[in-house]
Amino acid sequence: MIGLVVVSHSRALAEAAVALAAEMSPDDGPALEVAAGLDEQTTGTDAVAIAEALGRADDASGGAGVLVLVDLGSAVLSAEMALEMVDPDVAARVVISPAPLVEGLIAATVAAGTGADLPTCATEAGRGLDAKASHLGDAPGATAPPTEEVDEPGDWDAVEVSVTGEHGLHARPASRLVSTAATAAPDTRVRVRNVTTGTGPVDALSLSGVATLGARQGHVLRVEASGERAEEVLGQIERLAATAFGDEPGPAQPLADAAAPAPSVSEEPGVAGSGLEAAMGPAVLDQTVPEPDDLVAGTEQEEQDRLDRAVGQALEALDQLCARARRHLGDGQAEVFEAHAALLRDPELLGDVGRRISAGEAAPLAWQQAVHEIAARFEALPDAYLQERAQDVRSVGERVMRVLLEVAEPEALGEGVLVVDELDPALAISLDAGAIQGVVTRHGGALGHGVLIARARGVPVLTGAGARADVEAGTLIAFDARAGRLEIDPAPEVQTAFSQMLERRAAERQQALADTHLPVVTRDGVRVTVKANVSSVAVARLGAGLGAEGSGLVRTEAVFAQWHRAPTVDQQVEVYSAIADAFDPHAVTIRTWDVGGDKPLDFIPIEEEANPFLGVRGIRAFRQDPALLLDQLEALCRVARSHRINVLFPMVTSLDDVDWARARLQEAARRIGLSAPPHQLGVGIMVEVPAVAVRLARLAQGLDVISIGSNDLSQYTLAAERGNPNVATWSDGLDPSVLQLIRLICDRAPEGVVVSLCGELASDPEVAGLLVGLGVRELSASPSAVPTIKARLRAVSLRELQDLAASAVTARDAAAVRDLLTLHIQG
Amino acid sequence: MADLTAFQSWIAACSESITTHADDLTELDRAIGDADHGSNMRRGLSACAALADQEDFSSIDAYLKKVGMTLVSTVGGASGPLYGTFFLRLAGPLAASEDVGSREFGQALRAGVEGIVARGKAEAGDKTMYDAFSPALEAFESAAGSGAGLAEALQAAADAAAQGRDATEPMVARKGRASYLGERSAGHQDPGATSATLLIEAAAKTLA
Repeated sequence: MIGLVVVSHSRALAEAAVALAAEMSPDDGPALEVAAGLDEQTTGTDAVAIAEALGRADDASGGAGVLVLVDLGSAVLSAEMALEMVDPDVAARVVISPAPLVEGLIAATVAAGTGADLPTCATEAGRGLDAKASHLGDAPGATAPPTEEVDEPGDWDAVEVSVTGEHGLHARPASRLVSTAATAAPDTRVRVRNVTTGTGPVDALSLSGVATLGARQGHVLRVEASGERAEEVLGQIERLAATAFGDEPGPAQPLADAAAPAPSVSEEPGVAGSGLEAAMGPAVLDQTVPEPDDLVAGTEQEEQDRLDRAVGQALEALDQLCARARRHLGDGQAEVFEAHAALLRDPELLGDVGRRISAGEAAPLAWQQAVHEIAARFEALPDAYLQERAQDVRSVGERVMRVLLEVAEPEALGEGVLVVDELDPALAISLDAGAIQGVVTRHGGALGHGVLIARARGVPVLTGAGARADVEAGTLIAFDARAGRLEIDPAPEVQTAFSQMLERRAAERQQALADTHLPVVTRDGVRVTVKANVSSVAVARLGAGLGAEGSGLVRTEAVFAQWHRAPTVDQQVEVYSAIADAFDPHAVTIRTWDVGGDKPLDFIPIEEEANPFLGVRGIRAFRQDPALLLDQLEALCRVARSHRINVLFPMVTSLDDVDWARARLQEAARRIGLSAPPHQLGVGIMVEVPAVAVRLARLAQGLDVISIGSNDLSQYTLAAERGNPNVATWSDGLDPSVLQLIRLICDRAPEGVVVSLCGELASDPEVAGLLVGLGVRELSASPSAVPTIKARLRAVSLRELQDLAASAVTARDAAAVRDLLTLHIQG
Repeated sequence: MADLTAFQSWIAACSESITTHADDLTELDRAIGDADHGSNMRRGLSACAALADQEDFSSIDAYLKKVGMTLVSTVGGASGPLYGTFFLRLAGPLAASEDVGSREFGQALRAGVEGIVARGKAEAGDKTMYDAFSPALEAFESAAGSGAGLAEALQAAADAAAQGRDATEPMVARKGRASYLGERSAGHQDPGATSATLLIEAAAKTLA
């Protein structure tokens, strides 16, 4: 069997690639030698080390030959040099492959494991890109997929098998198929075609060939074999297929987000919202579930059947929600539904309900009691993670109860404007944006996680409407989230005005979308950068697709909001890299954990406080124990080595905070063997505390970026909590005092420090221009607002925006500023 | 004429010069590469400069071969095998010499530069170290051919290398990491040509 040598600049990269390849090969796979990095940490290649690795691989191969996989640049030169250093007889048995490192290595490992010779393995490695090229089709740089057609006459036995694994015939199951087919080679040949897509046949010994079949879950494969052991090998493959090719369906990987395809919001109706931030339609009410009293139980069998049907229906609905969340929002979000489905399969819960039904209870009551009991048991547990499961149990309980009592589920409510108490993330993901034109919430602020998700989808949301939203189902509701305006049962002329406004916005948005990938230059030639605020990998891709030039704020606490345990450094590196990749080549600003206030994270406990917004939040939460912050900073240092990112510290108040944060960054850099944080890693602070604004010249000295958090800056300046609708009149971010502070910040920022604004103010297209007039040159907005903001800014000159800003800072109050904005837009 | 001690002074001077300019080299590399040329070269040449104290060398060629192998194992980037090959090949024609004159050094320099071409497959105008080495070799051979001594020929080579280095600025890179930048690589002096010039300038000061 041939040996393989991996040559890379990075030892970690090479070792990870080898580990990945080793998963593909049976226990007695080929020898995999590594010659990578100058040492564990220092990147580089060393011809002497490569020559030694060639010697080891040659010994292990018993003279069968050695294939060398290289990354780039000096790896190629050093490998060539190593060939000149080894014994010429050995050198004659070595081939340096031009294949891409990871793909080539995996293809070669599988081919070598089947006993293929050196030229065959080299060819297989070279074709390692085919599967991706074929999958991505016309993508730039993709080569045409030379699917290996193996259509030759002869006696072929055949079986048809289904692909049941949830990720289809991906690399690992495909390699198991190849290994199985290889057991009968060479005297028995095996080929495969994908009956569902009509691709193939391909040689079953070729991993790259099998990968080009594009076999997804639900596809049917026709496997054909010719030769003495045809029947035997087909039987083995049938048995393998029955176990989803050794990949029994399991729970989704929590990080599969990173590998999920970009959400294609335009493909499926009902996924993308209108993006108009306003809507008009009949009120749709979330029906509450009545108490299941006074029910007459049928026979035991009837009740059990009723329950089974309801559980079955609920499971089906969850499956659909899960698939949809995965398609459009990534696996992280899909996990919510998967966890719920797992509970519905819990034998303990189902057994308990069954016993209650046997005892004569009607199914709904039996279900309710069993759910309550299990939820209570979870709540009594000492582990916070398990306590949290009580909420999932209740949520699942309600879903089944809705089916049992025939109460519509919230995601299938009908058309119009949905009115709810609060918008939770699960509903925000699942609601059908084709039917639900907008959402009005009675409670909760504009920054809840569910609201952020809905906004990112372009679903208009008006929050905190209070008792005004207590309307009968079907009442006409019109609202404009930009202006904070809500009309219940509006008069015909108001309806007409609203319709016209919606039409105008729709036309403007269509135009804005067409131009959104162009940069913003004002009419008098001033460049403004418009970025997107990001709360998940999926939202990052959405933002990039909508023309955002990077992200000015990645809310890491939102990215990991669903997590019950702190993500590891590796997991964070994967997620942050995926987010940075989404915006490549633009830079991404990642904020460290901003916990406390209204943002709880399971894995960062914060003690309850009388005034959480004035308490331990942001970096204050890590002063006692910086362990989790250090992990995060380590991840950011690692990501910064290959991506353009900035780190942003939230809730900085004093110079001591800045020094402390920088010292922690330094400490994190040392953990990965660096003497200082990577120079590419920009460092910044949030400016959200007025104290920082006032002393900015001192506090921002030596930083790369500052980011104005206008939401918190408003609430701290105006002493009015942003999520509390009772003080909403005092917490308006357009108050001239806040605008003056923003101007002060722009004026006082030290030379060379980029001033960005990432609060909700930046997401309002009518306010964005005012901010530019105040001196802000970088805005980070909700992704769906990016196209409109860019279009608006292109149409104006800095000169007029400065005039507007000059009037706004001296206006009487926020309402007067709004009037000025309206005048400016109409004028 | 230059003996073993002179060659060791050369390498020490290279290390000193590269260390002095490491930040500039890294800055140049940051513009069009991966910002590691200065630190890579400093690491490599510091290791080479330390050789003279660690080991007694019997000949110039044994010393230069060790320098080449040390660069191969310590530089890390593409400059490792390139400069490593340069010194390994440079050693070849000097195998029998204890005191090197302009004719022998000319042969050695040609072998070294040809080694770089064979390793890196670069051509003139690709915006690489070859754009400094190539005019340097030409100037050296022309000066030596008209009777110049080692010091004079090396000074001509150093001047030509510096001109060659300056000429890389408007070039569009066609090799190495910088070639990913395409047209955007124009307007930046090539870090490899810059370090090559430093090595030849050090030679002009020490090998005489």
